[in-house]
Amino acid sequence: MTARATTPAHVAPRRRGGSPLEAVLVHAVFIIVIVFFLAPFVWLVTAAFDSEAKAYIRIPSSPTLDNFVRIFTEHDFGHALMNSFIVAGLTTVLDVIVVSLAGYSLSRLQIRFKSWIMYAILLLQTMPLSATMVPIYGLAKTLGLRNSYLGLVLIHAAIELPFLIWLMKGFFDTVPRQLEEASWLDGRSKLRALVEIVLPVARSGIGVVAGLAFLAAWAEVLMVIILVDKQDMKTVPLAFYETFRTQGGYNEVQYGLVAAMGLLYALPVMALFFTTRRMMVRGLISTSRGL
Amino acid sequence: MASVQYEHVVKNFAGGDRAAVNDLSLDIADGELLVLLGPSGCGKTTALRMLAGLEHPDSGDIRIDGQSVLGLEPKDRDVALVFQSYALYPHMSARDNIRYPLLVRKISPADRDARVARVAEMLSLTPLLDRRPARLSGGEQQRVALARAIVREPRVFLMDEPLSNLDAKLRTHTRTELKTLQHELGTTTIFVTHDQAEAMTLAHRIAVLDHGKLLQLGPPDDLYQRPANIFVAQFIGSPPMNVLEAEVQGDAVVAEGVWHMKLPRPIAARKVRVAIRPEAITLDSSAADAHPAEVLISEPLGSETIVDVKIGAALVKVRAAADVRPPPGAKVRLHVDPGAIRLFDVTTGDALA
Repeated sequence: MTARATTPAHVAPRRRGGSPLEAVLVHAVFIIVIVFFLAPFVWLVTAAFDSEAKAYIRIPSSPTLDNFVRIFTEHDFGHALMNSFIVAGLTTVLDVIVVSLAGYSLSRLQIRFKSWIMYAILLLQTMPLSATMVPIYGLAKTLGLRNSYLGLVLIHAAIELPFLIWLMKGFFDTVPRQLEEASWLDGRSKLRALVEIVLPVARSGIGVVAGLAFLAAWAEVLMVIILVDKQDMKTVPLAFYETFRTQGGYNEVQYGLVAAMGLLYALPVMALFFTTRRMMVRGLISTSRGL
Repeated sequence: MASVQYEHVVKNFAGGDRAAVNDLSLDIADGELLVLLGPSGCGKTTALRMLAGLEHPDSGDIRIDGQSVLGLEPKDRDVALVFQSYALYPHMSARDNIRYPLLVRKISPADRDARVARVAEMLSLTPLLDRRPARLSGGEQQRVALARAIVREPRVFLMDEPLSNLDAKLRTHTRTELKTLQHELGTTTIFVTHDQAEAMTLAHRIAVLDHGKLLQLGPPDDLYQRPANIFVAQFIGSPPMNVLEAEVQGDAVVAEGVWHMKLPRPIAARKVRVAIRPEAITLDSSAADAHPAEVLISEPLGSETIVDVKIGAALVKVRAAADVRPPPGAKVRLHVDPGAIRLFDVTTGDALA
């Protein structure tokens, strides 16, 4: 057979698709995996519109917006949402500025002990956050940063910095040096060349950094618990957590309220991902090349 | 418009086992097109980047119009560099790329647009101005990079192998355009290349570098006719000079122990290397001292034929007319005009007078 003759001897000829049993098994596994990951989200959607939601998935008998109305009127969820947006937004801005400068410096400048600095930054990332709870509490209390946007933003920005600096250094490494050299020769200072040439070229990297910084700050709960005890400063995770806790006993948890909050908590992040997914994917691909 | 001086410039790179640029001194006249020629790693690009301010010499001085530029940032040196990779700003259109240096220099908008239009016209870029670099071909990108350098009217143009990313046909074409352009603008230009044909066609003077050292500086004809050492002899010309091991005996030199060639004047007996241009050898000489030899192969090139002839253990390339195509094994009689023979020292490689 000619087909056989052109197949290299060491490659076993293989039929595409396999046996019907194999196909059934593969599909079964996929379905189980999909159900496993999708079920919580299905619960979130069904329970949010169900005034008598339970801890399992059930189709609401009479779908209602009651839960949403109650979280805004009774639980001041609007305020928590606003706080979360302010904190995550400012954290993102701060992280992007700091990470751009630090990543660029580590990528381009000749610094003494650069590799040591890089490893020190990485070491910071390995530190478990909970281990820093007590000193951060003490520091925030002394500096008067508790119950303030500034405190939350500074801490949240700092948490993600080490990882984001590494990531951004990788992006900058992929931007050809000649571009900024051309800009210097065209008459620009180093800082202006960074802003006008390097950052726009590395914009997909900036996008990834901004997205990850926002996500992390949006989802962070431990530091919020430590730093916030005033009602008007609480962010979504705290509001969420308190609704879950204060109803007393798991039997009495108002699952509908929890689900409504959960849905509103998840939506902005999902919206962010879907609107920027092309840039994110492109950015992530380019770092894996650059690193 | 400016003159440029390199004075005893030395540059070492951390971890390098020898100097990238070693005691380079060059005097480049106003309006001159000087080519820095050498193999990769010879220090030519480093020399160029030091003038641009992208590298700093360890010692020595670099001056533009008599003023040292070592204390100046790249932005204050008023030189334009065309990179090998073109370094076009990928997020800007061709127009914005060309306009960028004018924007930086705060040229008035009307003047800016006029200058961009004029340069675009000069380089036939007008219909392409709204495209991003990614949508331009290599040759078009190269022209945009050139336009970005020209539009500024800098004191000095620096070109770092600007033609090496173009295909052969476009390279020859652009080479001609560059030469015409430089002639029209009259701007002092330093052009870096490893391609000797590019250097020969473009340069007013060529500086040949190897291992960071300046080996010879002079007009293309001088380098071709009177190479100062064996490296230059073998680097310039295509095919390069034939180099044979030889011994001087009275008023003759004996190459590879067999081929006797008459010298224009006798020199002291010694071992030498003899170098002869392929076109200086005649194949079918009737001269009494012609050397009988055998053809290995003929390489017809259309306009000429390169004939490879065996001399002892060595091979000699002879440039012959297009219709001369001796078959392998054909007997020929070689002769060289004594005036075309160049002798070099065996150890130093320097030319012997």
